Amino acid sequence: MKDVLRYLRDALIPRRQSRGEIVRDLGITLALLAAAALLCAGLNVVGESDSAVPLVFVLAVLLTARFTDGYFYGLFATIASVFGVNYAFTYPYFEFNFSLTGYPLTTVTMFAVSLVVGMLTEQVKRQSRIQAEAEREKMKANLLRSVSHDLRTPLTAIIGSSTVVLEHYDALSDEEKKELVWQVRDDAQGLVRLVENILSITRINDGAVQLKKSPEAAEEIAAEAVNKFRKNHTMPVRVCVPDELLMVPMDAMLIEQVLGNLMENVVIHARDATAIELSISCTRDGQVRFCVEDDGRGIDAEILPRLFEELFPHAQEANADGRRSMGIGLSACMSIVKAHGGHMYAENRQQGGARVCFELPLEEVNDGGEGQGADRRG
Amino acid sequence: MAVKGKVLIVEDDRAISNFIRRVLEANGYEALMVNTGREANSMLSSHCPDLVILDLGLPDMDGMEVLRSLRRWSLMPVVVVSARTDEREKVSALDAGADDYITKPFGTSELLARIRTAIRHTRTTGGSETIARSSRFTARGLVIDYDKYRVYIDGRDANLTQNEFKLVALLGRYAGRVLTYDYLIREIWGPNKAYDNQILRVNMANIRRKIEKNPGEPEYIFTEVGVGYRMIEAD
Repeated sequence: MKDVLRYLRDALIPRRQSRGEIVRDLGITLALLAAAALLCAGLNVVGESDSAVPLVFVLAVLLTARFTDGYFYGLFATIASVFGVNYAFTYPYFEFNFSLTGYPLTTVTMFAVSLVVGMLTEQVKRQSRIQAEAEREKMKANLLRSVSHDLRTPLTAIIGSSTVVLEHYDALSDEEKKELVWQVRDDAQGLVRLVENILSITRINDGAVQLKKSPEAAEEIAAEAVNKFRKNHTMPVRVCVPDELLMVPMDAMLIEQVLGNLMENVVIHARDATAIELSISCTRDGQVRFCVEDDGRGIDAEILPRLFEELFPHAQEANADGRRSMGIGLSACMSIVKAHGGHMYAENRQQGGARVCFELPLEEVNDGGEGQGADRRG
Repeated sequence: MAVKGKVLIVEDDRAISNFIRRVLEANGYEALMVNTGREANSMLSSHCPDLVILDLGLPDMDGMEVLRSLRRWSLMPVVVVSARTDEREKVSALDAGADDYITKPFGTSELLARIRTAIRHTRTTGGSETIARSSRFTARGLVIDYDKYRVYIDGRDANLTQNEFKLVALLGRYAGRVLTYDYLIREIWGPNKAYDNQILRVNMANIRRKIEKNPGEPEYIFTEVGVGYRMIEAD
């Protein structure tokens, strides 16, 4: 029996549904059938003829097939309708009688409607899947372009600097040698971050890896991000955390990476910035807001509105100061925050400098079962 | 310079093991190098080093296997080298008996600090020598008085609750070493509270508000994201 059921399910449902989806689709089906039955009962009471009944149920079957996944629910609705109409709404009432004239035709019509609509629905869904696939491909191509640019530049610098040291060892002063070695170290460190960001983007956007969300203390993650930042940078950072402890469901490693990227961004891009402020606050609508601010010259008015619009918008533009672009870093931030059901924005402060913030929901959002039950046991 | 100890480096990447060896030798340690798990097993029993630096990704076997078989007969300190992305790997290595871990890419100062701490903790099992001698732990402005069950910050009593004191005291005993969330919860609240991270975070947040100037920039107790907490080393 179990095997038969499994076979039927596999034949009728094109892909395995999660429990939530099954409940939803079953709910839609039953609600539509109930609505049809009620409507017919109503028509019966006001004395309409029975001829409208099959039409109402065909409509219910059509809607069921349209708004549920796969063929199963449509067919289920059809069978239920065929028996229901026969039992309750055709003479003799409240008993089965399949010998009525024209009844097989009604049945066949319902089955045909349900099958055709189911097929069309599937087709539409497949189309949108193909479209999403194409978008992902485009994103991948963009990413590759940015990556090859962002990888080649520091690698060229590393090879160049180290070659100079090796080939002109005696001609260079100690000071010069030291500077070149520092250059190598900085570039290598930049590459480490780049690789982390690329990994995050591809992992999240491919949907291959689920977020390992667990409730984390926001202040601890911020403190850790700042701690790491201080190992590589001298720019002072001030951290402001609220008095209350904010526990936020998140993949802590990834959020730490976002904060690191945003601080890094200030060092690389904010002109004339001398200090960073990282603050955490609770918004009125129950979100936790993380902000990274600097006291530099702010973000150019032309760039600001489309800073988060496109993926990798700046990678192709040559940087005036020749430093690494932040295209991939910001894209990684965006991907990570979005995957958490949060959002990101940037603005210029009135007192000068830029503020980049992201907000994460305090409560676990149910976004199709993603990342649930993946609590990290430390 | 007197040799501070013999360190076995188990790492298959030449460049990395070479760099570790140079750092160790420059700091007065004697370094031995092997690149496979099999060699590691035989070197461990024949040379009995003072510390092992163990990369988990070895060509011939899982580094965890080396760790587990070592723990069957020896408590010698092991510092595991792991890749950044996998906190679970770190936690399971710590659970399997590793003393600490270090994440690639790491700096030399970080590496030396881990080695120092791990070697010190084996010489005085279950806590540092100073605590055993004076029943006090001192790091900058923080003093843990193990006799009076008190924690002082810049001379003032921090007024920790009983559980808060237990947490700080435990971290102080293993200062410099990461203690996993699970370990801390089991030690303080017993085995029934296992997996309830929330209670630990809340206590830690309260402790930070009592002992740190700014809980967002802790000086004394650091978070190892996804793994646990670490107290700074004693003065």
